Amino acid sequence: VDSLSLLLDGLATAAQPEYLLFALLGVFVGTAVGVLPGIGPAMTLALLLPLTYQLDPAAALIVFAGIYYGGMYGGSTTSILLNTPGESASVVTALEGNRMAKAGRASAALATAALGSFVAGTLATVALTFVAPTAADLAVRLGAPDYVALMVLSFIAVGALLGSSAIRGLASLALGLFIGLVGLDGLSAQSRFTFDQPVLTDGIDVTLVAVGLFAVGEAFYVGSRLRRGTPHLIPVTTGWRTWLTREELSRSWRPWLRGSAIGFPIGSVPGGGADMATFLSYSTERSLAKGERKRLFGRGAIEGVAGPEAANNAAAAGVLVPLLTLGIPTTATAAMMVAAFQTYNIPPGPQLFDQHADLVWALVASLYIGNLMLLVLNLPLIGLWVRVLKIPRPFLYAGIVTFAALGAFATNFKPADISLLVGLGLLGFFMRRYGYPVAPLVVGTILGPMLEEQLRRALQIDNGKPWTLVGTPFTVTVYALIVVFVGLAAWARRRAARNLPVPPAGEDPADARELTGSR
Amino acid sequence: VTTISRLARGGRFAAPRRVSGELVFAVAISALGGYVLATTGDIYQPPGSTVVGPRVFPYVVGALLLVLGVVLVVQVLRGRTGAPDDAEDLDADAPTSWLTIGALIAALLVHVNLIVPAGWPVAAAVLFAATAFILGARTIVRTLLISVGLALLLQVLFAHVLGLGLPPGPLLEGVTWFRG
Repeated sequence: VDSLSLLLDGLATAAQPEYLLFALLGVFVGTAVGVLPGIGPAMTLALLLPLTYQLDPAAALIVFAGIYYGGMYGGSTTSILLNTPGESASVVTALEGNRMAKAGRASAALATAALGSFVAGTLATVALTFVAPTAADLAVRLGAPDYVALMVLSFIAVGALLGSSAIRGLASLALGLFIGLVGLDGLSAQSRFTFDQPVLTDGIDVTLVAVGLFAVGEAFYVGSRLRRGTPHLIPVTTGWRTWLTREELSRSWRPWLRGSAIGFPIGSVPGGGADMATFLSYSTERSLAKGERKRLFGRGAIEGVAGPEAANNAAAAGVLVPLLTLGIPTTATAAMMVAAFQTYNIPPGPQLFDQHADLVWALVASLYIGNLMLLVLNLPLIGLWVRVLKIPRPFLYAGIVTFAALGAFATNFKPADISLLVGLGLLGFFMRRYGYPVAPLVVGTILGPMLEEQLRRALQIDNGKPWTLVGTPFTVTVYALIVVFVGLAAWARRRAARNLPVPPAGEDPADARELTGSR
Repeated sequence: VTTISRLARGGRFAAPRRVSGELVFAVAISALGGYVLATTGDIYQPPGSTVVGPRVFPYVVGALLLVLGVVLVVQVLRGRTGAPDDAEDLDADAPTSWLTIGALIAALLVHVNLIVPAGWPVAAAVLFAATAFILGARTIVRTLLISVGLALLLQVLFAHVLGLGLPPGPLLEGVTWFRG
């Protein structure tokens, strides 16, 4: 009841002309960068973080909210037109949407994705408005051991449940934990693993890690084996008449609603995240389809674009629930949001709704506004986005490298940070080359220090006795959930291996594509 | 599943050259774990500090790295290699050009050392142009124009719209426009 009036206050803030312009800037830049091939939402946020360094906190968060949703929209455009999922949550969009595009229905795929994202984004933001304050009230009552359990849950989810190799995901996470150790220990002020390098004394900035692994690593990796010549792009007919036929619309709206209903709750559980939501929505739509339409799956079924895209955006709003109320990022994209909050010394968490209520509600309000702007902007501007996709690759990657260097420099104005960036870029290169996912590393870097702090607090409760970690009913429940999740994931992987066309969570997208193609 | 499709993609997974690199990477992870375990004892524990000092978490992380690294080494030796990342602009059949990576690193290091003496716009223009040429840009004049234009645009955008003053350098110091 209270949240409505607070939301109205937030709207009053966010609707000031200056802030509206910032929202527009965020949405526009977020989409433009998100459209660029090879750049997923997490990398978009990492690259654009320096844009906000000198803005006041409200303006910065508003720009960031715009980039967050804009990057999602942009990513789906790329998946459909180029068949390059920028992150694993877009894999199914690429799967069905790209086939629709090849069959001449590119504009329909783009339209159902854009409309579905708007519907789901709005519904999920409404849900966020009402769930988040309640969740924050509950979160205040959690103790250190409970936080440890929740963080272990998101670790397992990010590191082991997604991706084709659990061991590689966990190794990536552990590398991130190590990078998080470098620098001064927050509690005892002892320096750890700084190798006597002045550049490392204050630790390695998460922004640097993200930009290095996502942007520089990608540039090295792609640059080393760059495809020469112009990229193949599917032509899009513009003009609103061709967007969605009546039949396509009637096939789309139920998946939009189902996708929203699946996406938000899964996104809001620590350990859920957007990937699981899109895969679940996809398999739901596939099993609900009947007769002729069922056979369309894998060949360009509009339901397979509408549902997962809606689920993806609903999950993106859902992810904000643990992010804002617990301060726990459950995706790499959310980890970048935490980094943004941290640059302003506003740690997200239970106190956020008390101490910075105005900021939080301005952020939530600008999510509504940004979503609306995206709908208005995206479909008419599709011609522009298509042109962005055609940007010659040497310029694209030169721009990525230049912006990454700018981001690394602008964080502390230390040129030495750029040298560190190069090292992290090389790490990202080898990880891509040998099939290690980079997202867990980024999440590990940001969550590591938080986990350590809570872990040490928890252990101090009973003089270092480890059983305090399982001392509350809440912790026991969470650890039981972890066991269930791991079991389910193992089962799903086995089942997916038998029923080929359903892409198993996080499997190499190329595999899924080829197998469906050969059927 | 992965085996079949990887064979279909040209049998990349059998290349011994890749396996050895992957093995080195896995060994490096275990070595890092061993190093962390070995040196954590050197971290100073303030006397009288509480039960759980600054050494506990590093021990956990070190053990994790060591165990996972060893498992990975075993996996790679048994032939269970990772699937390399896919990207749209990637030519899957092209051999890795180490020269390109070396040149990109060199361009970035030149950029690092140019920022202070020459100013950010100059350093950024050099970085952009160098990267574009390394990656195969052939239109020389156009590339140079884009590099200079982008660097100046970013300098002005950051100085005036976003309030972030990047060092303009001796060349552009006199132009108030380029200062934040």
